[in-house]
Amino acid sequence: MQKNWDLKRLIFNISSLVHLGQEVTSSKGFNEKIKGALYVVTGIFSIPRAALLIYNSRLHSLDLLTSKGLKGIDGTILRIEHRHIKVLKKNEIYSIKELQNNPFYKQNETAFKTLQTRTFIPLFVKEEFLGALSLGRRLSRTSYLQSEADTLRAIANQISTTLHNSNLFKRLARKATENKKLYENMRHIYHNTVQAFAAAIDAKDVYTKNHSNRVAKISVAIARELSWKDKDVEGIYIAGLLHDIGKIVLDRVVIRSKNLTNAEMDEIRKHPKISYDIISKIKFPWKDISDFVRHHHERIDGKGYPDSLRDKELSDGAKIIALADAFDAMTTERPYQKKRTLNEALIEIKECLGTQFDGNISKAFFKTIQKEIKGELKDPQVLPYLDKDFDPSIIIMLLEGIIAELSA
Amino acid sequence: MLTNNFAVVSKAIDDIAILQPKGYMNDLGAERLEHECEQFLDKGLKKLIINFSDIQHINSMGASVLIGIVQRISESKGQLYFTNIKKVHFDVFEMLGIIKYVKIFKEEREALKFLIKDAEKLGLEKTDL
Ligand SMILES: [Fe+2]
Ligand SMILES: [Fe+2]
Repeated sequence: MQKNWDLKRLIFNISSLVHLGQEVTSSKGFNEKIKGALYVVTGIFSIPRAALLIYNSRLHSLDLLTSKGLKGIDGTILRIEHRHIKVLKKNEIYSIKELQNNPFYKQNETAFKTLQTRTFIPLFVKEEFLGALSLGRRLSRTSYLQSEADTLRAIANQISTTLHNSNLFKRLARKATENKKLYENMRHIYHNTVQAFAAAIDAKDVYTKNHSNRVAKISVAIARELSWKDKDVEGIYIAGLLHDIGKIVLDRVVIRSKNLTNAEMDEIRKHPKISYDIISKIKFPWKDISDFVRHHHERIDGKGYPDSLRDKELSDGAKIIALADAFDAMTTERPYQKKRTLNEALIEIKECLGTQFDGNISKAFFKTIQKEIKGELKDPQVLPYLDKDFDPSIIIMLLEGIIAELSA
Repeated sequence: MLTNNFAVVSKAIDDIAILQPKGYMNDLGAERLEHECEQFLDKGLKKLIINFSDIQHINSMGASVLIGIVQRISESKGQLYFTNIKKVHFDVFEMLGIIKYVKIFKEEREALKFLIKDAEKLGLEKTDL
């Protein structure tokens, strides 16, 4: 039951964040976006009263931008000096108690009382201070759990970037190229949000730290090599980030243990289906993500799980993620197996062609690694995460051999 | 710019307000429900029934509106009643801790029957409640 609850909560939170990502990247006006963002925070965490403050660097103040559930607060401002800002941590969640000894709090005690602030989050993008989020008491009167704090931080990040971009927007002439830059920036936030969740998945398991991120990047490299359209490449990136999200509901102990019982093994094998259940409930702007995620542990010979699909029944996207996932598992230390060198991993993939891995997809993977080692790609996705203890000339020779064989 | 996929139909019986929101509570448009509630509260109607039968989807923005309503009602010392809730929405309300602050009835008329002992007034005597 408890697990079930976490799952519902998770789906609700991710959906809300994805929705927020779409809102803030939409063509809606700034005020509406900001208000929407405040509604998302207050909805997710059941907060009846909250306010969003924007930093006025000329007047050294935090001015009210939008609020919810607060009456008669017009004109409320907080005084904030450079020395106050300097000691505030970027996008940190401060409980009001933690702030109480801060001169900044003392100077603004009345304003904090008017806003009924219980939680205060200073909003920064890089070193630029942009404003703050003031949250009142939660309906549940509880504090934020670790996972809730992660979500809250992801939202705070989105709000910061939205504030930042609006500043940017004001400063920029509305030239097409600059609008494009703005759009890129917005897309970036979207990715950051999903990345925040990926980090939460990987946090369950020290051995897979950053795993989702690497799988996403390797998948992108393969998809690009296969000349996928930009939009689809973006989709597989998101799928890579979220492919193991089902692990979030698994027991941490089970994920980390070395000698698994059959029952524990069955438990772990549920995760692609759980990932699918989660992803399919979220309205993403890309199709097929849920399919890719569900089938990332399938094999060409039908001996994979959860659906034992075979070669032709599997989408390219699922095959790509499956390969990227296996490659990352091979090249990182795991409790159940020792780490392979790049050379060993590539040979292992080759030996499993036609049984575990698809020939075409693997060929694209080999080609992209070859290009990355030769320095032919502007934006390498795989190499930066590998140990640098291999001999490039040996790997290139090995890859040339394999590719020639596969092309024959 | 409010979207058109949300509307509220409401009526008052004595000191009871009945609100029936329709459509999607997934953007700022859902605020309309909060405004209607406020208007009733300002007029002194303290018993509010919200009938969810025509609500399709509630996300965090919609939830925020409901949390706002819960807050307003408790400030006004009123009472909130939810009826015709789908299972998935009930789960959301439970998750967000909203249900502790509302009385829940399966059907709108059950809530009305609870609030108005004199069922005749509602023409309910012929129906088999
Ligand atoms: Fe997996
Ligand atoms: Fe994985």
